Amino acid sequence: MTATVNRRFLLVGAVLLAAVCAQVLAGRALSPPAVWDVLTGGGDHTDRHVFFQLRVPRLLVALGAGACLGVAGLVLQSALRNPLAGPEVTGVTPGAVLGAVTATGLGLAGWDSPAAVVLAATIGGFAGAGLLWLLAGRQRSDPAGTAVYGVLVSAVLGGLTAMVLLVAPGELGSVVQWLVGSTEGRVWHHWHLMWPWALAWAVLAWLLAGPLTLLRCGDEQAAALGLAADRARALALLCAVALTAAAVSAVGALGFVGLLIPHVAIAVFGADLRVTLPGAALLGATVVCVADALAQSLARALALLLDAGRLTLPVGAVTSFLGAALLLLAVRRTPDREY
Amino acid sequence: MADAVGITVEDVSFGYPGRPVLAGVELRVEPGELTALVGLNGCGKSTLLRLVAGLLRPASGRVLLGEDDLARLSRRATARRVALLHQSAPAVPGLTVRQLVRQGRYAARGPLGMLRAGEDATVARALADAGVTDWADRPVDALSGGERQRVRLAMALAQDTRVLLLDEPTTYLDLRHQLEVLQTVVRLREERGLTVLMVLHDLAHAARFAERIVALRGGVVVADGAPKEVVTPAFLAEVLDVVGRVGVDPEGGWPVCYPDHPAVGSKR
Repeated sequence: MTATVNRRFLLVGAVLLAAVCAQVLAGRALSPPAVWDVLTGGGDHTDRHVFFQLRVPRLLVALGAGACLGVAGLVLQSALRNPLAGPEVTGVTPGAVLGAVTATGLGLAGWDSPAAVVLAATIGGFAGAGLLWLLAGRQRSDPAGTAVYGVLVSAVLGGLTAMVLLVAPGELGSVVQWLVGSTEGRVWHHWHLMWPWALAWAVLAWLLAGPLTLLRCGDEQAAALGLAADRARALALLCAVALTAAAVSAVGALGFVGLLIPHVAIAVFGADLRVTLPGAALLGATVVCVADALAQSLARALALLLDAGRLTLPVGAVTSFLGAALLLLAVRRTPDREY
Repeated sequence: MADAVGITVEDVSFGYPGRPVLAGVELRVEPGELTALVGLNGCGKSTLLRLVAGLLRPASGRVLLGEDDLARLSRRATARRVALLHQSAPAVPGLTVRQLVRQGRYAARGPLGMLRAGEDATVARALADAGVTDWADRPVDALSGGERQRVRLAMALAQDTRVLLLDEPTTYLDLRHQLEVLQTVVRLREERGLTVLMVLHDLAHAARFAERIVALRGGVVVADGAPKEVVTPAFLAEVLDVVGRVGVDPEGGWPVCYPDHPAVGSKR
C-alpha cells in the first residue's frame, strides 16, 4: 500500500516538475533559449530581471495558490461531508474576494500592509460562508441543496465585488484579476504576502488530518472513536477559509480548483488524509501551474492568430474551463455514488 | 490481561422534547459479563447503549465504567474505555480495510496523534480477531454488507477497550456470519476479559450466547436475569408482544422460543 502511494507521489511529482518547466518556458517576454542562458548563469541584465523578478515569483504564486486551494477544498469536503463543497461554492472564495477588494478600496489594506489584505480576505471568507449557512437553513445537510444556495451566494457576492471595483478602480486592479483569477504580473510582493500565512494554516490542516479522516466517517462514528466532532469541524473550517484567503489575496477567485482537486486527490491517494492532504496540495499546485502555462501559450497563439500585439488570458479562465470539463466527467462516471 | 471493568447505570433518564425515552433505568453489568439487551423497536435499547458509550448525556442519573463517571471523562478518554459497534455507518469511499480499522486507534494516539507505538500490532490483532486479515488491503467499498460489519467490528476491537458495546451486530448478516460474529465476541470476552453489552433482536441468539438478559419496555427495565430464569411465555408476551411457547435446548440447556403469533390488543 505504502509502495503504491509512494509511486503515485513520484508520478504526481514528475508531472509537477514538467508543469513547472512548461510554465517557466511559456512566458512571452523571454524565449526558451534565453531562459536556459539565465539558468546556466548567463543572460543579460534585462533577461535576468524578467526571469528572477517576474517569472519565478509568478510561478511560485501559481504553485502556492493551487496548493492552498487543493488543501482548502479537501478540508471543506471532509469536514462538511459534502462532495459538492468547495471554497467557490460555499461562499468562501467570493466572500474572500469581496473582503480583500473592499478593505483595499477603503484604504484599510494595501501593499503597505499586505497582512491586512489576507486578514480582510479571511474575514470576508467567513462572512460568505456564514451567509450561505444562514440562507441554506434546514437544507444544510443536503449537499445538492447547499450547492444551489452556494451558487446564489457566489453570484451576489461577485456582483458586489464588481460594483466595488467599478466604483473605485485604480490600485485595486481589474475585475478580471479578482473575479476570474489571474497570475499575470504577480511579483515577489504577492509571494511574500501569501506563503507565511499559507504555510502556518497548511501545517494546522495537516495536524487535523486524523480528525478529518474520522469526520469523513460520520459524526456519530467519529464521536464513538473519541473525536469531539464539533470542535474539530470548527478548526477545520477555520483552516479552509484561511487557506482560501491566502490564495485569493494573491491570485483572485480561481474557479473549480478547490472543488475538483479533492476528488482527484481521493481517487489517486485514497481517503487517509495524512497521505491525501499533501497529495491534494501537490495536485492543486500542478493543476494551476499547468493552467498557467496553458493560459500563456494560448494567449501567445491567439495574439499571433488575431494579429494582436499583446493579449493576456487569465489563468482562472483556463482552470474554470478545465475544471468544468473534468467535473462533468466525474459526475457522469459516478451516477449514484453514496458519500 | 488487565482487570475487567463493569458498567453501572444509576437511575438514568433520557428523552427528547415531548418524547421521554428512558425513565429511571438501573442496570449493572458485572466485570467480564456478556449481557444482551432485548426489547421492541423503539423501547430505548439503542439509546441506552449510546448513553453507556458517552455519545448521549443522561438528563438525570449517571453512568459509570468501573469507578469512572462518564460525565467527567473527555470524548477521547471515553473512547479509550469503551468501544461501540454501530448498527449502521455511512460508507467512506477511498479507505482500505486496514486504514479504516486503524481509525480505531484515534483515541489512543494522544492529542497530537503522536503516540503510535505498537499501533500496527494492535491493528493486526484486531483484523485477525474479526477474521478480516485477508481483506486488509482491499477497499472497504468493495465489500458486501456482511463483510463491512466484520470490518467495523475490527475497528471497534482496535480501540482495545475493556468494555465493548454492540448495537445489533448481526444485522445484514446471514446465519453463518451471525454465528461467526457472536462466537468471536464470546471468545474475545473469555480471552481478554471484556465486558460486553449488546443489543440483540434475535431472542434465540440472546438466550444462547448471553449470560444475562436485560429487557426494556417503555423506557424501563422489565426483566433482568439469566436466560433460563427470564425467558418464559410470560416474558414473550410482556416484553416482545408475542404469544409463544418456550422449551429447552436438549444439548445446551438454554431456552428455545417458539413464537406463535403477535399478541392481540396489547398496547406498546
